[in-house]
Amino acid sequence: MAKMKFLCDAERCIECNGCVTACKNEHEVPWGVNRRRVVVLDDGVPGEKSISVACMHCTDAPCAAVCPVDCFYTTDDGIVLHDKDLCIGCGYCFYACPFGAPQYPQKEAFGVRGKMDKCTFCAGGPSADNSDEEYERYGRNRIAEGKLPLCAEMCATKALLAGDGDMVADIYRQRVFKRGGRPQTWGWETAYKAS
Amino acid sequence: MPMRKLALALGLTAAVGLTGCWEDANVTVHEPGQYKGQKDPLLSQQASARGEALKKRFQLVQADR
Amino acid sequence: MKLIKKSNGTAATGVAVGTPGEAIGRRTFLRRSGLTLGGGAVAAMLPPAMMRKAEAAEGFSPKAGVATELRRSVCTHCSVGCGVIAEVQNGVWTGQEPDFESPLNLGAHCAKGASVREHGIGERRLKYPMKLAGGKWQRLSWDQAINEIGDKMLAIREESGPDSVYWLGSAKHNNEQSYLFRKFAAYWGTNNVDHQARICHSTTVAGVANTWGYGAMTNSYNDMHNAKAMIFVGSNPAEAHPVAMQHILRAKENGAKMIVCEPRFTRTAAHADHFVRIRPGSDVAIIWGMLWHIFENGWEDKEYIAQRVYGMDEIRAEVKKWTPEETERVTGAPEAVVKEAAKILAENRPGTIVWCMGGTQHTIGNNNTRAYCVLQLALGNIGKSGGGANIFRGHDNVQGATDLGVLSHTLPGYYGLSEGSWKHWARVWETDFEWLKARFDKEERAGEYMGEDGATDGKPLHSMHNNGITVSRWYDGVLEDKNNIQQRDRIRAMVFMGHAVNSQTRGPEMKKAMEMLDIMVIIDPHPTHAAVMNDRKDGTYLLPAATQFETYGSVTASNRSLQWRDKIIEPVWESLPDHTILYKFAKKLGFADELFKNIKVNNDEPLIEDITREFNRGMWTIGYTGQSPERLKAHMEHRKTFNTTTLKAEGGPLDGQYYGMPWPSWGTPELNHPGTPVLYDPSMSVAEGGLTFRARFGVERNGVNLLAEGVYSVGSEIRDGYPEFNDQVLKQLGWWDDLTDAEKQAAEGKNWKTDLSGGIQRVAIKHGCAPFGNAKARAVVWNFPDPVPIHREPLYTPRRDLVADYPTYEDRKVFYRLPTRYGSIQAQDFSREYPLIFTSGRLVEYEGGGEEQRSNPWLAELQQDMFVEINPKDANDRGLKDGQMVWMKTPEGAQIRVKTMVTRRVAPGVVWTPFHFGGHFQGQDLADKYPEGTVPYVRGEACNTAMTYGYDSVTQMQETKVTLCQITAA
Repeated sequence: MAKMKFLCDAERCIECNGCVTACKNEHEVPWGVNRRRVVVLDDGVPGEKSISVACMHCTDAPCAAVCPVDCFYTTDDGIVLHDKDLCIGCGYCFYACPFGAPQYPQKEAFGVRGKMDKCTFCAGGPSADNSDEEYERYGRNRIAEGKLPLCAEMCATKALLAGDGDMVADIYRQRVFKRGGRPQTWGWETAYKAS
Repeated sequence: MPMRKLALALGLTAAVGLTGCWEDANVTVHEPGQYKGQKDPLLSQQASARGEALKKRFQLVQADR
Repeated sequence: MKLIKKSNGTAATGVAVGTPGEAIGRRTFLRRSGLTLGGGAVAAMLPPAMMRKAEAAEGFSPKAGVATELRRSVCTHCSVGCGVIAEVQNGVWTGQEPDFESPLNLGAHCAKGASVREHGIGERRLKYPMKLAGGKWQRLSWDQAINEIGDKMLAIREESGPDSVYWLGSAKHNNEQSYLFRKFAAYWGTNNVDHQARICHSTTVAGVANTWGYGAMTNSYNDMHNAKAMIFVGSNPAEAHPVAMQHILRAKENGAKMIVCEPRFTRTAAHADHFVRIRPGSDVAIIWGMLWHIFENGWEDKEYIAQRVYGMDEIRAEVKKWTPEETERVTGAPEAVVKEAAKILAENRPGTIVWCMGGTQHTIGNNNTRAYCVLQLALGNIGKSGGGANIFRGHDNVQGATDLGVLSHTLPGYYGLSEGSWKHWARVWETDFEWLKARFDKEERAGEYMGEDGATDGKPLHSMHNNGITVSRWYDGVLEDKNNIQQRDRIRAMVFMGHAVNSQTRGPEMKKAMEMLDIMVIIDPHPTHAAVMNDRKDGTYLLPAATQFETYGSVTASNRSLQWRDKIIEPVWESLPDHTILYKFAKKLGFADELFKNIKVNNDEPLIEDITREFNRGMWTIGYTGQSPERLKAHMEHRKTFNTTTLKAEGGPLDGQYYGMPWPSWGTPELNHPGTPVLYDPSMSVAEGGLTFRARFGVERNGVNLLAEGVYSVGSEIRDGYPEFNDQVLKQLGWWDDLTDAEKQAAEGKNWKTDLSGGIQRVAIKHGCAPFGNAKARAVVWNFPDPVPIHREPLYTPRRDLVADYPTYEDRKVFYRLPTRYGSIQAQDFSREYPLIFTSGRLVEYEGGGEEQRSNPWLAELQQDMFVEINPKDANDRGLKDGQMVWMKTPEGAQIRVKTMVTRRVAPGVVWTPFHFGGHFQGQDLADKYPEGTVPYVRGEACNTAMTYGYDSVTQMQETKVTLCQITAA
């Protein structure tokens, strides 16, 4: 069974924020809400590295574990989604999440998105696929269209990989082999340890 | 005597303080409860049904023709 | 929620927290990244306008059950040429998809490219024509605006002559609009026409074209896959050309060694194998420092130099002075670091050099660019796949706008301003040369031009042949004493058509000049910094221009490939495409019929394809003749058939052609020339895209042969160097009868550049020869102020000890119509009061003056403050903290108020700012001066407000990469 995963290749990431704006554009995410961010380590000195971070769609998602209203569910290909009708915006999931993914826009800012908002792996939410309602509340459903998350599809250097975990790992392994280096699958230990 | 008390107090403070430096690797994790929300139509579709399309798409994205 | 204690033993299935050390690492990571900032806290900062925006935006969202159409365009934000796929529903741009078929970007985008749909939402765009009357913005109709502006222009023309109206064009025009803009200025009767290329790569074009023939990028982004070494000097593609990094990193993965040579540890440097930090303004010194090691160790390519390079011995003599000690004294780079760089380049060939504005924007910019070329010639790297001078251009069509001559010293195709050049274009335009000449001011004045026919320095020239004032100095054309300007009167009207004035230096003086103008016309999708930075009360006009997504036509990427854009949406609000606006002006000003003689006009919109065909008929010099609209559209249609490394079509209807027919695509479209993927590469026949160095500078100099010796392109029937082709050469070779009768008639008395039939080019190629000859590249440009590139200290330098050894030029009385100062500025010592070197550069989210991006919420959110990077040492010396507001003051008295960013990215003694901000002026926020609803989301000081005087000795490029400043707490 294919499991959807994200992987950011830090050797390729150039911190161009293409993934961030692709996400903003695709889902019309309002000002102040960032489903995806680029994080820089050792900014401005040798060893500087950047990684693009969003919800990693963890195998045993800690957000789902702590949710008091049980609004999270996981598709059988491993995408973690949630129901904004149930969400009470309590913020537990934010504290549980090792990646800081959940966002809490103000209610007025964006329709019903006063509830928690996060990366959906471009798979929308529990509304009819690609309905106006789904777009309004969760954003576009590319998965239902047979497409992958736009951030990774548009990545300037193909640093951000999204798709079936095995294929992602294969591509990445090839690159590491070519470079003669050690793999640095940042975040995978935390997110996908079980798989 | 006051010196011993002080030393004890200091020792205690240090001990209490140092406990902050220790972190139990055994963490409490919670298992998710049963999802109570609306049904996502995506769930009624078998992932394997769209797996092939997504595989092809991945190859398209990562292809250096 | 069920609480279940999981034992550590089964951690494999639990949340992996790992060791305490890692856990702490994660927390610091979250804190550093700012991720711990609550979403709510950020949302609270949401301006009220954004709330309205969020609602309004629903009108641009994709709708379920509505038919979606896909349209193709090309990103308008840099010169990589990334394909854009737009989803359009009922004429509304509702989504963007990756363009996987484009061989240039393979679907990829940077922040700017991924956000271009916002152009179609355009809430902060200029919505209708407006004028400033009594200090208030008033709406008016297009007709009213054109009439009022036209009447004033005609009155100025009457009183002061055509040179008093300045036509400032843009690298944002497509090729057709660029060409039309230059032609328009000619029919108005002035050479006071220019665009951004002057201030980004003019020194490259001048330096490189004078070295080996053409001034463009020699290879392509894709060809970098083949490089074994890459050196970046004053170039930061990770921020300026992010998608180019896809190709660069691929090259690195293929084993190429990557060197970055910069004053600043850039995001590109973070990916390099070797970093050479230099003092700003010491480019020639560092290149000669490397070349010293190359010559010392005999690493140069001796055979290549003997066969293909003129004047290397004179270079050798200069380089001898650049011992490791002297190089370190001037550049600050120690011997071991410099030698390592030289060694990497020598041991990994072919290698490529990339440079950008870090190298070009200096008083000796032309010396820098020629030094880079000489380095590559010494290594034998030019004319080879994987090698080359990969000069990354800036704007999406700055290459095209340069090629099509939106410049004050040339006509389309670099034909120059000589009588022969004008007559060539008059023939193409089917306009009487004498009529055209009569449009110009007839007085002769001191001047110069530098074009195909060489240079004439100092002789009196008719205004038609005299270089116009450059964009870098238009305000000196307003402020300078009338008797010192080589034209009838001062500049009285400025037309800014797609120009960001915050890219120009000396803010307070520019403001003064703006206030002296009779009228100021800003034609742009946004009001721009120009509309607000001055205190004019009347006579400023704002005309809304459409972006390139609202029109169509061809655009030239940095690698010389032409791509065809489709129209994605109709122009938003009341905006109009540039060519329509030019037609309206031409009609008002009375020369529309002559200007559009061979161009069909529908509803005031000239037909783009007719314009393409017209320049196809005249652009013989650089082979913009083969790329007909039909061929260009076919290339877009079949772009998935092109190889992503070679750019060559493999199979399909375009088999063997190169993507976008990178110029030169010789001859007529019927010749079907495939384009030239790598310039001067003799390993292919000219008919298949091969080339030699151009014979542009004669055949002999002081008894030395300037033609190539023993090298020629594959299949050449002349197996040695040869001069450029003309009717006489064809006759001598006995090839004249290969011409058809019609071609013979057209070719008689003409050469490969002026034969409108293309016959001379066709026959030369038929015999395997390059129409422009086969010569040596010249390392010594004898007609330039410094024939051998030498180091000269910047005008404002902290290194007074070097001024005596490396002085700048003497002041000049006439240079592009204006007096130009050098020595008189350098003579003064400002380094005590202003001890910090001030340089500038790019941010990935923004481009140029940043109007479009700072008005785009998806991008603006990512960079909200203008800032200055300062080393911890300099910050501590001044008691400054990170994120604090400071004043930056420069020697000419300007000051800007910005935020600090304390970082080791810059060396002690050097500060850096981005250059995309505008909307603040010397501490004042100008938000209330914009027309309602057009204020950019993000505003800040333009760094160039505080940048100082200094202009390149050949092109008048402004010196924006080095001046002095002092920083104090605000």
